[in-house]
Amino acid sequence: MNRALPWIAIVAVAALALLPFAPGAVDAYYFSFLFFVFLYAIMAQSWNLVAGYGGQISLGSHAFFGLGAYTTAILWTGNYLWGSLYDTYPNIYYFDPVTMALGGLVAAVAAALIGLPLLSKLRGDYFALGTLGFGEIVKVLFVNGGDFTGSAFGLVAPASSFDTLRPHYWVALGLMVATALAIRALMRSRYGLALIAVRDDEMAASANGIDVLKVKVAAFAGSAFIAGVAGSLYTFYIFHVGPDSVFDLDWMLLPLMMTVVGGTGTLLGPIIGALVMYAVFDLAKIVVPDYHPVISGLTIILAMLFLPKGLARLRAIPGKV
Amino acid sequence: MFNLPPPDILLQLSLNGALGGAMYGVAAVGLSLIFGTMRLIFLAQGAMIILAAYFVRALFYGLGIDPFLSLLIVVPVGLGVGWLLYQGLFRKAAAEADRNVSLLIAVGLMFLVQNLMTVIWGGNTAGVVTSYTASGIELLGVRTSFTRSMGFLIALAGTGLVMLFLRKTIVGKAVRAASEDMDAATLMGISPHRVNAIAFAIGISLAGAAGVAVATTFPFNPFAGFIFSLKALVALALGGIGNVTGALAGGILLGLIEAYVQFFISGGWTNAIAYGVFLLVLMFKPEGLFSRPYKKA
Repeated sequence: MNRALPWIAIVAVAALALLPFAPGAVDAYYFSFLFFVFLYAIMAQSWNLVAGYGGQISLGSHAFFGLGAYTTAILWTGNYLWGSLYDTYPNIYYFDPVTMALGGLVAAVAAALIGLPLLSKLRGDYFALGTLGFGEIVKVLFVNGGDFTGSAFGLVAPASSFDTLRPHYWVALGLMVATALAIRALMRSRYGLALIAVRDDEMAASANGIDVLKVKVAAFAGSAFIAGVAGSLYTFYIFHVGPDSVFDLDWMLLPLMMTVVGGTGTLLGPIIGALVMYAVFDLAKIVVPDYHPVISGLTIILAMLFLPKGLARLRAIPGKV
Repeated sequence: MFNLPPPDILLQLSLNGALGGAMYGVAAVGLSLIFGTMRLIFLAQGAMIILAAYFVRALFYGLGIDPFLSLLIVVPVGLGVGWLLYQGLFRKAAAEADRNVSLLIAVGLMFLVQNLMTVIWGGNTAGVVTSYTASGIELLGVRTSFTRSMGFLIALAGTGLVMLFLRKTIVGKAVRAASEDMDAATLMGISPHRVNAIAFAIGISLAGAAGVAVATTFPFNPFAGFIFSLKALVALALGGIGNVTGALAGGILLGLIEAYVQFFISGGWTNAIAYGVFLLVLMFKPEGLFSRPYKKA
C-alpha cells in the first residue's frame, strides 16, 4: 500500500483530535455530524471483522449494539456498579470506561453463547438468517423485561450529566482509531491469518489444523464487543435507551451498507464508507427533506450497481488489501 | 399449566391462525423461488406486498375495481415488474460471487419502495373497505371473515399454480434444476439469467397476490412490509428452503403458532416465540419440517 498513507492518517487523526479547540467548532453542525460518522465507522468495523475478514455474514449487529446500550443504561439507572460512590460523584457513570467495557462484554458473551450453537450448525445464508432471528428475539426480551429494562418505553439515564459534545467526539474518534489499529494488528497476527484462511476455504483451513469453530466464534464475539461499546457510547449521547431506538434495524443495515460501499475486508473501507454514506444521507436530509430516505435507497442501489467492490478498492493493487 | 379452552374456541383459533398464516405462506413461496435460483434473501418482498396493497387500494378507490377482481391486473403487472427489476437491478449483481451486493440492492429497493409509498400515499395507516369487508361466513361450525377465507384461497391457488408451473412445464423444470445446482444447470444449457428473471417475476407476482389478500384483510402502512418479510423468512425456514409447498405449509404453521401464543401466553411474546422456533428449526432441522428424508438416488 501507499507509503504516505500512515502519515496522512496520523495527520488526519491529529487534526480531527484538535478540532474541538477551534473556535465555534463545538457548536457547529459538522461537529455532531463527525461524531455520528465515527460512531458508524466503529459499527462498520465491527461488521467488517466478522463478515469482511471472517466471511460470516451476520445480520445481528443491532442486537449487540442494543445490548451494549442497555447494559450501560441498566448499570447507570440502577446504580449496580459503583454503589455509594455514585452519591459522591453523580457523573461517575458518564463515560465510565468500566461501564463501557461491560457493555461490550455483555454483547460479546451473548455473541459467544448464540454463536457457538449457530456457527457449529449453520453456514452462509442460514447463519445470516439465524442472527436476524436472534436480533428480533433479543428485542422482544427487552420489551418484556418489566422494570429492569423499562419495557416498551425503555430507560432514561440522567441527562443532567450532559455538558458539551466534546467528550463524545473525542471518545468516538479515539474508539474509531483504536478499533482500526486493533483490527490491523489482529489481521497481521496468527489469528488474523487463520480468520482469512477460514473465510477463503474452510476445509483447507481445517486441514491445516485451524479450529474453524473457535476462530469463527471469536470473530463473532469480537465484533459484538466492538458493537456493544459503540452502543454504550450512544447511550451517553441519547440518554433514552428504548427497544425501538437501539434495536432498530438501521444499526445493522447502515453499517453493513457503509462497509460494502467502502470495501469489505479492507481496513479503511468501513471508515471511508461511513463518511461517504453518512454525508450522502445527511445532505439528502437537508436538501430534499421530504424525499431523503428515497435518496438513501437510490444511493445504495447505485453504489452496488456501479461500485460493487467498494471505494477502498478503487485503486488497490490486486492481491494486496 | 393452562386450562384447556372449549373445543370450539380451539377450532376458531386454529382456523384464524391458519387463514392468517397462509398470507405469510404465499410471501414465503415467492421468497423461496428467488432464494432457490439466486441465493438471495429478498428482504424487499414485504415492501413489494405493501406496494401491491396500495395499488389495489388505488384501483378500488380510483377506478372502482373490486379488490379481488384486481388480481387479474395485479398478478400480470407483478410478473412484468419482477422481470424488469431483475433485468434492471439484479442481473449484474447475480453474476457476482459476493452475494452481499444483491442483498444490499434488495435493502436499497426496500428503502426506496417504502419511502416512495410514504411520499405518494402518506405514512398513515390505510385500508380497503368494501361492502363485504365486515361479512363473515360459517365454516365447520365456526365463523370466520369472508376476506380472510378469500386470502387463504388466493394463497392456495397461487401456490398450486406455481407448483404446476414448476412440475409440468419445461421452463419450470429449468427453474427447479437451477435451484438445485446452478452450475450443473448452466452446463445443461439453462441460462442463469433467464431462470433468475422467471423466478423473480413469479416471486413479485406472488407478492402482488399477497398484496390483494393484505389489502382486503388488514389495515396497512408503508413500513408494515418489513415484518412481513421477516415472517415470510420464518415460514420459509419452517417449510424448508427451496420447497414451495413447504413454504405455504410453513406459513400456515407460523400462523397457528402465533394464534396459540397470543391466546395462551401473551401477544407480547408472539414474535420471540416465532423466532425461537425459527432458530431451533434452522439448527436442528435446516431442511425444514415437511421435507422427506433425503434419499440418495
